[in-house]
Amino acid sequence: MARVTTSELPKRFHDAVLKWRETFLPDYDFLLENWERYFPRDPKFRLCAYREGGMPCTIECGDELGRNKYQRACEMRPEAAQHLAGAIRAQASTEFGSIQQHQLTLARAQDEEEQAMVLRMMAEELRHGYQMLSLLEADDWKPITGQSSEQMVEEILSMKTGSHVLGAFNVDFESFVDNIVFCALIDRVGKYQLAMQKVSAYAPMAESMPQMLREEAFHLATGVVPLRRWVVKAAAGSPMITMEVIQKHLNKWVPRALEMFGDERGGGTNVKFGLKPMKNSEAQDQYWREIGKVVRDLNLRYLRARLPQLDAGQAELTLDRLESERGVVEGVDARDLLRLPHRDYFRRRGVPAFRMVGEDGGAWTDVEGYLGHLVKTLPDGYRATRDFQDYVTNLRAVARGEKTPEEAQKFMPQLRRVGGVCPCSRAVRWVADEHVELPDGGAVHGG
Amino acid sequence: MSDPTIQIRSLSELHLDDIVRIVEKTRHSYQPDLWEDRVTYYLRRDPESSVVAEVDGRVVGFMLGDVRAGEFGIEEPSGWIEVIGVDPGFAGRGVGRALADAMLARYRERGVRQVRTMVDAGMPEVERFFKQVGFEPDSLRPFVRRLD
Repeated sequence: MARVTTSELPKRFHDAVLKWRETFLPDYDFLLENWERYFPRDPKFRLCAYREGGMPCTIECGDELGRNKYQRACEMRPEAAQHLAGAIRAQASTEFGSIQQHQLTLARAQDEEEQAMVLRMMAEELRHGYQMLSLLEADDWKPITGQSSEQMVEEILSMKTGSHVLGAFNVDFESFVDNIVFCALIDRVGKYQLAMQKVSAYAPMAESMPQMLREEAFHLATGVVPLRRWVVKAAAGSPMITMEVIQKHLNKWVPRALEMFGDERGGGTNVKFGLKPMKNSEAQDQYWREIGKVVRDLNLRYLRARLPQLDAGQAELTLDRLESERGVVEGVDARDLLRLPHRDYFRRRGVPAFRMVGEDGGAWTDVEGYLGHLVKTLPDGYRATRDFQDYVTNLRAVARGEKTPEEAQKFMPQLRRVGGVCPCSRAVRWVADEHVELPDGGAVHGG
Repeated sequence: MSDPTIQIRSLSELHLDDIVRIVEKTRHSYQPDLWEDRVTYYLRRDPESSVVAEVDGRVVGFMLGDVRAGEFGIEEPSGWIEVIGVDPGFAGRGVGRALADAMLARYRERGVRQVRTMVDAGMPEVERFFKQVGFEPDSLRPFVRRLD
């Protein structure tokens, strides 16, 4: 029988997280006060770290397959321990970072139930961040990273949108559509990362994953279920949501999601060290197939709403025809359906970085023409962000031959909100930092 | 004996359309909203209990339930099987048994010592199925009072 134990961080760390929560998750108290209303019979949320017992105690992949898993990072090979520290830091950054993003537009939800689901998801992300901090607190990382646990925790809690480790967490949300599409696409990458880390050669990491994975299952539903209902509204001609708006948000987030797996040529080192069972491209391929199913199911839901006389089998055949003929079938235009953007579209990291590939896979040679295409295929609000500006600047530099694509992709988003390390600071002055080059692992904080 | 080509997987939001399709075939009713709510409920409460069965990558059956305690005077945590659905095209191939075996194994692994369900007397085939997978009548009896 699997045994689950819970623990809290030492008071000074726990209090720091509570302070962070007051600033970046101000609706937390509302969630707890209204828990029974939105989630009757569900166990009440608790901010703590979970550890699963009864998991495999020997390394499950890589060079040391079959050897006992490590309980302390300092017992690992230095390079492996450094990769591990980077992974914990990146994982923690994503958890806290996503809350900061969701909070921006949480209040803009049109549906109270959808808002409550996102709010619960944010609380659970906080717990996931707390879980990662518990790994940093419980071990001695100074010989590995040069930073004490206190320093690492403080650094993570001081990150804000613009200074997080992974690009997807440095993109501001503009509307509640971002909240929902982010859950459906970016949290799905999270599911893959957690599932891979469940085999980690570092036992405390592996034992942290099962409860996070359980909670992640709900986070994906928090994205997919509203999307399924929105496409029905779109089919009915609702002025509140259209297929075009959803498509533009898919275009915004799918490229960032693909990049979260890391460079398509990499990941072998993590496998070798027993930290993950799959290389980046293998995991990315599986993810790509999975989001293909999400999009197809959304289109089926849309078709059933547009053509209610069809049964399930007929709807599938109609969708097959629309996908292959790309025309109009039974009054439904294939252009009204959702589609995944081409895998190389709007990429800034990995093999296709800064290639000018259109949403439909068409190649562009003229940079301004390509930027015009991006403007037409991305959400209007996103075009005005610093994140997009940063991409445009680098793309133009690549087009002029001033940078190679490899050089351009090593530039972290050059933005951060200044305000010191105090997590309760609200200072939001944007500044330009010195460029920071990433190592091959890709996980270094530039702030 | 279960068909070895049947693969059991944990329920996820990716199975929503498959569940809606199976229910539509068996009950002749298209109710996506209802099943979106129900699947979300199980995913948020107990995502590891509920299972789907796949043949050749296609979902052909599902079984939903969770572990609960403190209901109907039963203090000990009980596993509940609340919904089962099998694609009629795959009836008689052991899909239901494979689903039940997997779900019972998951409950057993979590230390659950009793699994409960309720069967409508008007559905003898369902009663037969549960008897085949080891269920027997219990002292807990359903009562109903109509208010109209």
